[in-house]
Amino acid sequence: MNPVECEFESEVLAAALQSRWPDRVDAQLRAHVAGCAVCSDVIVIARAIDDSREEAYACASVPDSARVWWHAQLRARREAAQTAGRPITAAQVMAFACAVGLLGACFGATSTWFQSALGTVTSAVMGLNGKSLLPSATALMAEHGALVLATAAVLFLVPAAVYWALLRD
Amino acid sequence: MFHDMTFTDVNRGHALDEASAGFMMDEDTFRAFYERTARGIWGYLARVSGDRQLADDLLQETYYRFLRAAATYESESHRRNSLYRIATNLARDARRRSLTRIPFSLAGNDIERVPSRDHAGAMERMTDFTRAMSQLKPRERAMLWLAYGEGNSYREIADVLGLRPASLKPMLFRARQRLAALLGRTPEEGKR
Repeated sequence: MNPVECEFESEVLAAALQSRWPDRVDAQLRAHVAGCAVCSDVIVIARAIDDSREEAYACASVPDSARVWWHAQLRARREAAQTAGRPITAAQVMAFACAVGLLGACFGATSTWFQSALGTVTSAVMGLNGKSLLPSATALMAEHGALVLATAAVLFLVPAAVYWALLRD
Repeated sequence: MFHDMTFTDVNRGHALDEASAGFMMDEDTFRAFYERTARGIWGYLARVSGDRQLADDLLQETYYRFLRAAATYESESHRRNSLYRIATNLARDARRRSLTRIPFSLAGNDIERVPSRDHAGAMERMTDFTRAMSQLKPRERAMLWLAYGEGNSYREIADVLGLRPASLKPMLFRARQRLAALLGRTPEEGKR
């Protein structure tokens, strides 16, 4: 079975990383590497990687540190502003939806035109379906029609507005 | 004036202050750290991902996440390992996001810029190395680079790659054997 590691491995790796291999190492270590599969592989790979690192260092077009710092600051501020703005937007949307619902309810309760239109719609519904089919619903509509409509409007508006706000964020 | 500010302005102002304070490093410390590590990180990202363009993109993201992590570090090596861990995770995420395997394309025209006396030999060695690395798994590339390029210990590599130190040793051994066989060189640099 092949050995997984060798006691000279770190010494051999240090020689390769410090560019001492093969000229500036002991003859003993060279002789060991010649006969050790682990150390032989370590030298081959460390030197190949070292060449690649040199090439990477020469080719790397890393941006200036000041630019990276500035971009990071800018991005952190933008993200913080977005995070801070999210609950505020949601609250604004909720308030708007509630105001619309309240206005609708006031309008429904005070407008005679709306009341008569509602009565027409209710009687039309009753005519279509028959009073026996929808007794409780029609009674509710007749008594609290404006409130029911306002509630329905709020129930529809709030989720729609929240969804729209989250989509925008 | 503070009195003229709305609740929204005040809230956002606090958030912006917190964002600036969120960086645990001041500018000078960061810039010095960046100068010491950026090229190494770029090389690592380029080798692990096999894509120079991607390495360019991930480099800035790596440093941004490092700054945002707002962690405290015991030492320079601890800080460096944290940076490599972020880079590793970003490279892995980028690989997962891409539907097709990213082509390993490092041996490009840039090799002509290698400052080497033996230009043809360097070019050939680099092409061989790139080809050999492309046949390894990204994690194998990462562990080999960290072990034999950066000289990290088993514990450090395991920490960066999110592995157990005990399982790293045989994995590194297999990766090393594979790469050595693919390179087909001797320690004296000649061909086997």
